[in-house]
Amino acid sequence: MPDLSVNIAGIELANPLMTASGTCGYANEYADFVDLRTLGAFVTKSISVAPREGNPYPRVVETRSGMLNAIGLANVGLERFLDEKIPLLEELNLPVFVNIAGTNIDDYVQVTEALANVDVVKALELNISCPNVKAGGIQFGTDPASATEITRAVKAACGKNKLIVKLSPNVTDITAIAAAAVEGGADALSLINTLTAMVVDVETRKPVLANRTGGLSGPAIKPVAVHMVHRVYTQVAKPAGIPIIGMGGIQTGRDALEFLLAGATGLAIGTALFVDPACIVEIRDTINEYLTRHGCTSINEIIGALE
Amino acid sequence: MMLLLCCHFCGAGFQPALFFCAAMLYNVPMCTTDKTRGVFAATVLENRPLCDEHYLIRLQTPGFPATEAGQFVQLQCRPNAIPDAIRVVDWTDDAPPKLTGGEIADGEPLLRRPLSLAGRDGDILDIIYRVVGRGTGWLQRAAAGTELTILGPLGAPFPIPDTISQAILVGGGVGIPPMLYLAKALNAAGVQTTAICGARTAGLMPLATDDSGQSVEFSARGAHSILCTDDGTLGRGGLVTEPLAELLAAADDPAAVAVYSCGPEIMMKYVGLATTDAGAQCFLSLERSMACGMGTCQGCIVKIKDDSERGWNYKLCCSDGPVFPAESILWE
Ligand SMILES: Cc1cc2nc3c(=O)[nH]c(=O)nc-3n(C[C@H](O)[C@H](O)[C@H](O)COP(=O)(O)OP(=O)(O)OC[C@H]3O[C@@H](n4cnc5c(N)ncnc54)[C@H](O)[C@@H]3O)c2cc1C
Ligand SMILES: Cc1cc2nc3c(=O)[nH]c(=O)nc-3n(C[C@H](O)[C@H](O)[C@H](O)COP(=O)(O)O)c2cc1C
Ligand code: FES
Repeated sequence: MPDLSVNIAGIELANPLMTASGTCGYANEYADFVDLRTLGAFVTKSISVAPREGNPYPRVVETRSGMLNAIGLANVGLERFLDEKIPLLEELNLPVFVNIAGTNIDDYVQVTEALANVDVVKALELNISCPNVKAGGIQFGTDPASATEITRAVKAACGKNKLIVKLSPNVTDITAIAAAAVEGGADALSLINTLTAMVVDVETRKPVLANRTGGLSGPAIKPVAVHMVHRVYTQVAKPAGIPIIGMGGIQTGRDALEFLLAGATGLAIGTALFVDPACIVEIRDTINEYLTRHGCTSINEIIGALE
Repeated sequence: MMLLLCCHFCGAGFQPALFFCAAMLYNVPMCTTDKTRGVFAATVLENRPLCDEHYLIRLQTPGFPATEAGQFVQLQCRPNAIPDAIRVVDWTDDAPPKLTGGEIADGEPLLRRPLSLAGRDGDILDIIYRVVGRGTGWLQRAAAGTELTILGPLGAPFPIPDTISQAILVGGGVGIPPMLYLAKALNAAGVQTTAICGARTAGLMPLATDDSGQSVEFSARGAHSILCTDDGTLGRGGLVTEPLAELLAAADDPAAVAVYSCGPEIMMKYVGLATTDAGAQCFLSLERSMACGMGTCQGCIVKIKDDSERGWNYKLCCSDGPVFPAESILWE
């Protein structure tokens, strides 16, 4: 059996697979559907200081090979997360990465400090890339100077936790934001969040989503995501010695292999979980099979091995 | 040289040659699990029209967990994907196989479609669907023998309080199917049941009638039925709320009556108002566009009244519902 374990900023994962934030709730929702211990790590839905109810209905609409969502970071808030969700996450026996969101630096720092001493949490994923709320951090994710500033502030409050910065694809040059996050002290980068998009109901002449726009995810965005991972890998992450968590449309083992070759060390699965929560088993097995067939003893041999 | 890639659920050995059986991936009897919910392999037994645009599909689904009326499933409405990991590939030492690209496991439409259970007989699940778009359009062409997968069972069922002796079911259009399943459960519970079923026109009524105008399907489930069409082409002309009002007015003890409804939202709103005004209990099954159906994406919100300052909060149609007490729903 090839060795599937990877190291993300000093955190040992049994394999590179993790959930993409917001597509897996807080773990208990999926417990009946798949053994989550198939994963290398669990990434939670975004958490903000105060609970957020999110955007009005409709919040999701399907498109060809993908979907738009405008959930609006609906979440239970920090206090209930600590009281109700952390105990559930502890039962998973997996490293947990908590995705954090906010409207200003103080919000982010407050959540960061509250999680600094929670054992089961190993890393924070800084969401500065949600396209669906007016002040949901995207302002930090599209301007390099702000990206550096917030990364630095959150990193200083992280304590034992590692810091992953999640990048938006809705920028002219994603490597500039990636470099800015690295400058601010990011231990890892994750990409991509969803692509801002719109679906129009031609009869009513209105956008289908109440929020008008939403974020496109699923197989449709995979080639964009693979390209962005590769650019960030070669231009920023590899020179800086920082790992990438790649995501965007991963549905099969083959998709996962593309991301690994492009330079991703970790892999997050989102929309595909809605279709088949057990796809993570197939993805893991296909990676295993591929490594065996290519005579690799460790997954690390193919990370960034694109020719 | 040959590579045998094994099914991770059952670990069964395979015969050589390209292996295209996604059923191996899921819960088929040879790898029975005691999962309460999950993704299950299903085979189409029968798929036939009931009227214009409405079809009955019967799915053999071995090992599917216990279900109750009001619950739904997320049905895959496209050909089975061929999982990468269960293919068997032949190759020689000097010419390793070329992987043929992820497209073999892709498919359209991407997301599953939520559909209510219309009935169940052992491991055979009945679903009645109306062809409205891409997914149901594909489903309509799925011949007997087609293999697909079902995620479920999902959602909370219709409650049957022990305090009731009479039930009135109000189904509109594709809201009728879950009422068939419910009628069976009410019959088993010894509750006297009348089903009021509405459609725009005769051609859209997914029920067969006997000489006395009764639905054959509801009669078989021990229920009396009243059929209505908006244009009067079948049964009573007019809306389902009229016979409902008559039945409620005739009830000796409204507190012992429960009204269950599924159909267009505007219909359910009036069913709910009429029923609660009459002092009977009312349970409505709501529809929302859904991505996951499992309570994770937060897409399928419903405004439900609570004792908060503002008086309501969002609940999830897929996992808190789809059945809600009528008086708890905040209508827009
Ligand atoms: C809990 C639940 C139970 C359901 N049970 C049944 C059932 O038993 N039988 C049945 O025929 N249908 C049922 N539906 C509706 C069914 O899910 C949709 O008709 C189906 O998803 C349409 O898929 P499509 O790909 O054919 O259409 P699409 O191509 O997705 O859409 C075609 C048209 O249908 C509309 N539409 C899409 N989804 C919905 C929806 N969820 N509700 C209303 N309109 C929609 C679209 O706006 C569009 O105009 C149920 C829905 C829910 C949420
Ligand atoms: C319904 C839904 C909710 C999401 N919520 C969040 C979120 O709260 N925080 C976040 O950082 N990303 C969120 N995302 C983005 C995903 O984590 C991921 O970056 C994106 O969907 C691309 O991956 P995929 O194509 O595999 O889904 C969400 C995506 C979806 C589809
Ligand atoms: S459909 Fe995803 S939460 Fe209900």
